[in-house]
Amino acid sequence: MADRIFAGVLLLVAIGYTIIAFTVIHAPFQYDPLGPESWPRILGIVAIPCILFVLAKPDVASLGVPAKTWGRLAALVMMLFAYAYLFQPLGFILATFAFCMALSLMLGSRLLPALAFSAGIGVAGYFLCTKLLELNLPAGVLTIFR
Amino acid sequence: MDAVFSGLASGFEVALDPFNLFLVLGGCFVGTLIGALPGIGPINGVAILLPIAYGLGFKPESAIILLAGIYYGAEYGGRISSILLNVPGDAGAVMTTLDGNPMARNGEAGKALSLSAVASFVGGTFSVILMSFFGPALASYAIHFSPSDYVALMVFAFASLASLVGSNPVKTLLAALIGLMLASIGIDANTGVARYTFGIPDILAGIDFLVVVIGLFGMAELIHLVEQQAAGTLKTLKIDKSFVTLKDLAFVKWTILRGSLIGFFIGILPGTGASVASAVAYGTEKRSARDSSKFGQGDMRGLAAPEAANNASAGGAMVPMLTLGIPGSGTTAILLGALLLFNVTPGPLMFQQRPEIAWGLIASMYIGNVALLIINLPLVGLFARMLTIPQQFLTPLIAVLAFIGVYSVVSNPHDLYMITALGVFGWFLRKLDFSLAPVILGFVLGGLFEDNLRRALSISGGDWTILVTSWNSVALYVLALLVVAVPVVVGRRRRARAEDASPKAPA
Repeated sequence: MADRIFAGVLLLVAIGYTIIAFTVIHAPFQYDPLGPESWPRILGIVAIPCILFVLAKPDVASLGVPAKTWGRLAALVMMLFAYAYLFQPLGFILATFAFCMALSLMLGSRLLPALAFSAGIGVAGYFLCTKLLELNLPAGVLTIFR
Repeated sequence: MDAVFSGLASGFEVALDPFNLFLVLGGCFVGTLIGALPGIGPINGVAILLPIAYGLGFKPESAIILLAGIYYGAEYGGRISSILLNVPGDAGAVMTTLDGNPMARNGEAGKALSLSAVASFVGGTFSVILMSFFGPALASYAIHFSPSDYVALMVFAFASLASLVGSNPVKTLLAALIGLMLASIGIDANTGVARYTFGIPDILAGIDFLVVVIGLFGMAELIHLVEQQAAGTLKTLKIDKSFVTLKDLAFVKWTILRGSLIGFFIGILPGTGASVASAVAYGTEKRSARDSSKFGQGDMRGLAAPEAANNASAGGAMVPMLTLGIPGSGTTAILLGALLLFNVTPGPLMFQQRPEIAWGLIASMYIGNVALLIINLPLVGLFARMLTIPQQFLTPLIAVLAFIGVYSVVSNPHDLYMITALGVFGWFLRKLDFSLAPVILGFVLGGLFEDNLRRALSISGGDWTILVTSWNSVALYVLALLVVAVPVVVGRRRRARAEDASPKAPA
């Protein structure tokens, strides 16, 4: 069933992809015999039968993920998106601190070790990367560290 | 022959440069540490560290030497978690757990670790030596390949991928197609027409290679680790004082050589890396052994064969990557993408145009192998300590490393959302038994495949028969057919024989 749902979504995407290849993509001038549209057309035409095959003969019945785990995975993805959202405006140190706290606490760490770990990664990581390795990381609201 | 030795000499000149030597050793060390982390294999390690290595602004040969060191080190380190924890870091290490973990449980953990280090060393060195001779020979042959030959080569690569990787060939092919489709997003370089960008400026130049790699191999792995957390805590076996003896080595010497040979040649096949090589080596050893009853319960041969094979395949996989520009495995696909980031196009011309990269890399692999053997025998206890890092700290650390890597390269926060989304997508693919390596192979080869097809048809003025006019391409199409047909025929015959033997067995 899980296979079929995924293949169904994939099929819709592939059909959309192929339709766009046949209708929208078009070069204003013929540069080469194939043009920009032929390659996506070929890919779409090969992909659709493959997806239909998976639809007809699925081999994964269910993902085998218990409801509790789904909740944790959803929380993880939310945290990652929040981290991505806050990364630049808040700056590496604060965003990383918040993210590491949230995730390590969710994964069962006690409060004090999590605090030490998150602060360590945030501050040490920032100075290690920006000063020693000369990588570009956002300073964010802590502009004094820039 | 002279060219090989003078090439090697110039390569060692590059690799023995103090800074590069430091990178080889550092890469091997960090690679082993990462490989030893439970559940993280070479491909994830290289993926997570690639953007950071890129962001450091090294010269291309230094960066690729560092990445190859990490790749190699992770292949060595992977055996530690396989043996002590029974948790393989990636598909290539699964075979190591079969006999390695029982050995450790029988009180021979130290022996298993030292034996596998020696087997890895022999396999790795063997394949680097073969590579130094094969590589230039293949390159000087491939130099005459026309665009249509390249199209045939790609067809062969994807055919062998579909038939040898993963359990379901259709799903593997579909995974490769997903990679090819992802690669088609962005402005078409030949005509300037935007494809599938939907007016989003961030993907006008296409989806960045680093974003795809980090998303599929870093973030998807992270989600996987969090999912596995519920399964309970991991139990590490202690390292004891037992050590491999010369008698043991004499007992497995042919096993190791056979494993190395199998590993190297399977590694050369495009798309098939350590997982296929180690499985074939293990199977061959088990079948050819006079007394195979102890396989699976801690037979030294069952540990030595896959370990020699998976390190040999790491070298073998480099051959098509360097000489043809077609990666031999998922991890070499990432290394190929890394070279492209530096505006170095691997292919038959690289041995002549960028000898410092091609030969420098090969020479660094000789050094890396020796260094890995030396640091792995005494320091194995230190690496094994990595297994005890609490998961609740390791997991956030992976995410932070991935974010640092992606952000420091382009400084576009949009990429951070992309890696998270691709991570979720990759996790679903993984849960549904798609392999992820074909996706990255498809993504890396997408542009090359399309360009060569279009160039071939431009040469012929739109006549498709150009694809089958040269002997090279016809031979490659025949090989592609064979690689698809042989496993099917063999499988059917074996099934028929099994049914003959026991006619009433349920199908």
